[in-house]
Amino acid sequence: MSSTEALREHEAQERKANRARAKAGRSVIFKIIRCDGPGKPSRWESFKVPVEPGSNVISCLKWIAANPVTIDGKQTTPPVWDSGCLEEVCGACTMVINGKVRQSCSCLIDEYAPLEGDTITLEPMSKFPVVRDLWVDRARLFNALKRVKAWVPIDSTYAQGAGPKESPEHQQTRYRLSECMSCGCCLEACPQYNIEEDESKWDESFIGAHAISQARLFNEHETGKRLKGERLEELSDKGGVGDCGNAQNCVKVCPKHIPLTESIGAMGRATTIHAIASFFTGKK
Amino acid sequence: MGNDSGFMNRHYFLLRRLHSLSGILPIGVFLINHLLTNSTIAWGLVNSRASENVAPGTIEQVGEMTARRVGTFQHEVTFINEMPFLVLIEVTLWVSIAFHAILGVYFARTGKSNTARYAYQDNWRYSLQRLTGYIAIFYIFYHVATLRWGWTFMSPTDEPWSHSQAASTFSLALRGQAQGIGFGGILVSLFYFVGVTASVYHLANGLWTAAITWGLTISESAQRRWGYVCAGLGAGLMLMAWSSLIGFLLLDVNHARAVEADMHAAHGTHVETTLPVAEADH
Ligand code: HEM
Ligand code: SF4
Ligand code: SF4
Ligand code: FES
Repeated sequence: MSSTEALREHEAQERKANRARAKAGRSVIFKIIRCDGPGKPSRWESFKVPVEPGSNVISCLKWIAANPVTIDGKQTTPPVWDSGCLEEVCGACTMVINGKVRQSCSCLIDEYAPLEGDTITLEPMSKFPVVRDLWVDRARLFNALKRVKAWVPIDSTYAQGAGPKESPEHQQTRYRLSECMSCGCCLEACPQYNIEEDESKWDESFIGAHAISQARLFNEHETGKRLKGERLEELSDKGGVGDCGNAQNCVKVCPKHIPLTESIGAMGRATTIHAIASFFTGKK
Repeated sequence: MGNDSGFMNRHYFLLRRLHSLSGILPIGVFLINHLLTNSTIAWGLVNSRASENVAPGTIEQVGEMTARRVGTFQHEVTFINEMPFLVLIEVTLWVSIAFHAILGVYFARTGKSNTARYAYQDNWRYSLQRLTGYIAIFYIFYHVATLRWGWTFMSPTDEPWSHSQAASTFSLALRGQAQGIGFGGILVSLFYFVGVTASVYHLANGLWTAAITWGLTISESAQRRWGYVCAGLGAGLMLMAWSSLIGFLLLDVNHARAVEADMHAAHGTHVETTLPVAEADH
């Protein structure tokens, strides 16, 4: 078992133990960061929420939105958050729960606050601009995917015949990388990834582990390969893979267990080879 | 942000990789070599040939073990000082360290440590790499300024370091007195302990991350295996660094001086005799 897997197993055991001792019919305190809009000051508000078996953070947020009264009896606005699939595949509901980043839709209350009066804190991700309350704008994350051209260049206006053959082993490697849902957990936990509200600086600031890994995915694709040079150029420049400081938090918090640090090493190697090749051939 | 960052942006990849390379070659290789030399003040005691050039009377006075330790160390230092193009080697090192340190501070400032929230071992490694880099700047500066440039006003002794009396003058610079240790000496010795420990950690962890930077280690298992190698190297270097310090702390300066004088007599070099410390010191 790798050390990352061991850490995940340890965390899973802790959650399981909490689930086993969860008290039925209890109430849990939700401490939430509230912010009325971009640039507005933020404040904490607490709510007392009755939980049912199987409640998750979003179902509790819905309860609060329907009963927006704080623990001290003050009427407030319904909290705002983002979500989509409600089954941990879209990444929209990502937030910081009890100090760590994860998806809120799949976050079971039994695993985090098993006893009467236990507290769950909710904060928006700190690396993206807040739209309102727990809802952030992940546009920079998607911009990073554009920077590395995370797509297969193909003109589908006419039939091009059969595509290149793919080996099962190769397919297995790529499948793991393809599971990224652009949630932003890897960026939130990364000490080298800082919030940047100025859009004009996005192309020079650290691109993030998700995009490094997606560059690898599409470089490994038989047709996607055609843009390999351009992707490696982008990853060599300022804000590319060189800005990673190898803290390896990304791989530990990725909900899809994507081998991000392996992708970082792989792109380190690819940019090394690319640089040597272009030094001798003059080709980019 | 002006021309500087324009230059930086245009040559970003090259600068990044030169930063990584400079940490290993020449700085890292020098550090290994330097610790190897310095630790002879401890393991020199197994070098039975080291006392060959020391007069029997001196050996009787200082003891066989001191004669061997000081003899081996002085032999190494003399060898280094007789190397051709020594100035070139020195300047290369200074330029490399300045380059690595300036860029290192710049890179370190791009990150924001978050070990409070994500208290993973690897995350601590990352933060320590930055912290030890900062410590190394102050430490290396102090080390070079007091010993190489002779800025003794920062040192617990007035006597500048001399390569012809390497062990005795360094021991003085560390402790400030011929035997035992004073208050200033305790401070300097602690600083040396922290500085050298930080430098060794920084090199060992830097070797580990450099393998990812250059793409030598990709899979998690490869990174783990290379991690054992780096940890082993780091532990070995740490032992050398600490034993050097202990070796110099447990040295009688006047005894070392007697051995050094004999060495130079045998080597045919003329050394201006320095008076025993008790009288020369103030
Ligand atoms: C004792 C002398 C030093 C040695 C032997 C040394 C060695 C190294 C090595 C081998 C690396 C690995 C490069 C990589 O990960 O690719 C490194 C990285 C680094 N060094 Fe040093 N270094 C020294 C002094 C310094 C100083 C004075 C600083 C100033 C703060 C510094 C700051 C850094 C930083 C921030 C990194 C990480 C770079 C990154 O991962 O982006 N180092 N060092
Ligand atoms: S390994 Fe790199 S990308 Fe991942 S968290 Fe650390 S610094 Fe960020
Ligand atoms: S790599 Fe993992 S943590 Fe990062 S965006 Fe993709 S799924 Fe989320
Ligand atoms: S709502 Fe899609 S991941 Fe939670």
